[in-house]
Amino acid sequence: MLSLPFVSSPDDAFFEDLKVGREYVSPGRTVTETDVVMFAGLSGDYNVLHTDAEHMKGSLFGERIAHGLLGLAIQQGLASRGEPAAAHGLLTAVKWKFKGPIRLGDTIHVRSRIVGLKGGTEPGQQLVTVERQVMNQRGEVVQEGESEHVLGSRKP
Amino acid sequence: MSSPRIDTSVAPSQVYFEDVELNVPLETPGMTLTAAHVALFTGMTQDVSPRDDGFVPDLLALCISSGLGWRVPRPPLAVLAFMGFEWRFLLPLRVGDTIRSISVTNTKRSLREGGVVIEERRVVNQRGETAQAGKLTLLVAKRPKP
Repeated sequence: MLSLPFVSSPDDAFFEDLKVGREYVSPGRTVTETDVVMFAGLSGDYNVLHTDAEHMKGSLFGERIAHGLLGLAIQQGLASRGEPAAAHGLLTAVKWKFKGPIRLGDTIHVRSRIVGLKGGTEPGQQLVTVERQVMNQRGEVVQEGESEHVLGSRKP
Repeated sequence: MSSPRIDTSVAPSQVYFEDVELNVPLETPGMTLTAAHVALFTGMTQDVSPRDDGFVPDLLALCISSGLGWRVPRPPLAVLAFMGFEWRFLLPLRVGDTIRSISVTNTKRSLREGGVVIEERRVVNQRGETAQAGKLTLLVAKRPKP
């Protein structure tokens, strides 16, 4: 069973409240054909992997799959609903691996862990590194990586 | 008429692993980032992080550069899978900025099925400043045997 949606508590809204090793689980979301079609339109990536059902019958995957970057974008949204706001400053860097396909109709959620905190007294010096795994409904890790965020504001 | 680098009358319909040229820069047309892009992207990703007006989500430019990447003077690359990437966000982008991307393939590694291609890519704004940059790893098909 997936855990219930996590709601950030006001206690961990600031950099000072984050702890290395703290883990979070996001709500789930079903990735639909509509998501893939809309993402093709928005990004302009109409590669056959995502848009040609007939071609993909004969492919490695046997069917259309979601864009890897659509999975990345959706997990970022899911993570923003499952992690404290302080872990969601502006992105400075991402290292990411696409380990398996997200198929139309798959339901994904994100498991995150804070792995690095670099302090500083000024905004812009506080860096949070988060490790994330995107899991499907079968418990397979379909994407994983690490992102680094910089905080734009701090505890008054 | 200017002479295109690839004669499309004989060019393959796709660029396979064997055809990928190393160290040849490919530049895309530009795309102006609008409030509509931001609204669509935010609605699709449901990122609830509070941001100010005119803010362009960090990942939106990366996603648009993936689509722009197909619009280069070369037939489409026969991508089997996107394996991973490393990316740095160097400058903020705002609604109204126009981005394009410039990429260079600098590594090719042949596998039994297909091959791995590593592409260095920069996303630049209308002033030519690099806003985002990194490298993308793609699995590309080999040319089918006749």
